Amino acid sequence: MNSKHLFFMLALMVGVVTPSFCGAQSTKPIINPPPTAKDWANLAKLPDWSGVWNPKISDQDNQAKTNMPPWVPAANELIQFQLAEEKAGRPPPLFVNCLPEAMPSWMLITHNAMEVLFTPGRVTMLGESDGNRLRRIYTDGRSHPEDPDPTFHGHSIGKWEGDTLVVDTVGILPQSLIAISEAAGVPNNGDMRVIERIHLVGKDELHDEIEVIAPHVLTKPWKTTRIFFRQRARKFDIVEGVCLEGYFAPGKDKQGNDVFLPIQHDVGGNRIPPQ
Amino acid sequence: MKFKNLICLVLSVFTFIFSMQASAHHSTTMFDREKVLTISGAVKEVQWTNPHVAIFVFGTINDGDTPALWLMEMTSPGNLVRAGGWSRNAVKAGDKVVVDFSPLRNGAKGGALKKITLVDTGKFYTADIRAQESANLEERDQK
Repeated sequence: MNSKHLFFMLALMVGVVTPSFCGAQSTKPIINPPPTAKDWANLAKLPDWSGVWNPKISDQDNQAKTNMPPWVPAANELIQFQLAEEKAGRPPPLFVNCLPEAMPSWMLITHNAMEVLFTPGRVTMLGESDGNRLRRIYTDGRSHPEDPDPTFHGHSIGKWEGDTLVVDTVGILPQSLIAISEAAGVPNNGDMRVIERIHLVGKDELHDEIEVIAPHVLTKPWKTTRIFFRQRARKFDIVEGVCLEGYFAPGKDKQGNDVFLPIQHDVGGNRIPPQ
Repeated sequence: MKFKNLICLVLSVFTFIFSMQASAHHSTTMFDREKVLTISGAVKEVQWTNPHVAIFVFGTINDGDTPALWLMEMTSPGNLVRAGGWSRNAVKAGDKVVVDFSPLRNGAKGGALKKITLVDTGKFYTADIRAQESANLEERDQK
């Protein structure tokens, strides 16, 4: 075998072995390791975010007037139309379909309480309203997927900087609204990133410093803060809040069984008043 | 009718029913907040449901009116508990009540409840979602 043949053989071996070897590596499942006792113990070192957190709605109202996002002209035109309609008593029904308010609107304009759970490698936010309102924020050091499936709440990774949880969220559905009120908001139209710095202020206030980067509808990143108050009374524990429940009223079927009966609403989301 | 056609018919009916409806989180400017009317009467039904609790009241606004059924809407059960001290059974069908409310702008018999007073006990409940804007509301309740 001359050197030319030897080189060819080596090249063939590399060509055959490398893909299968590397391929085997790339298909190896990534395992979420079971938490250790130390992982659980480390949770106790984190700040105490227990309890129920309800939003400061009056500050949401105020922010809508004093801290308008830097909309691109088309988005601004839509917002101004929506605000005029709302003022005229015809509020645009942005959230009347019972789909999740989604990111970042959940944090921006929610009127409902939430709770925050710490478990090893993850922070979970659970909302009181909307049956599927929850955020999973991975704190186990992972990166975002290269091409995440778009979802209402996106893919969130977080890291602790002292007592502040810094959250980076991508992969949010382009239809998700950047809303400044329940009646004024613009779809983000894709490629949105939301960066949050969540931390306690004093003993019982949680502040979410939010930065929204939405290149298709904002001329530059928009920063705003949302405030939540802590409640510890057991009577204020989070209750089930299924949005679609509002479509129905309890009733009886022909056999006397308890069932939900559809009720009518107007386009604005209200039950139709008695005629 | 073939089974497939029956399924299609059922699905069509469901689609029609759902297309008529909308609910959930909405602004409240369809109510005229600058007006407050008062209705006196009796509770016909309480719908203690998310995302908006509703109370149907049969009564009159002005002396001499023919009694009529009015629909009062509020925020969610969780918010009513925190903001107004409500519970599921705070107001029940049959209770005699006086209700202050902001009426719908379109003149329909509906409104946003501001305050409901039980005539027999004088106990009252409010429904302002912005009345829960401090931590540790239980301390407020104990005062």
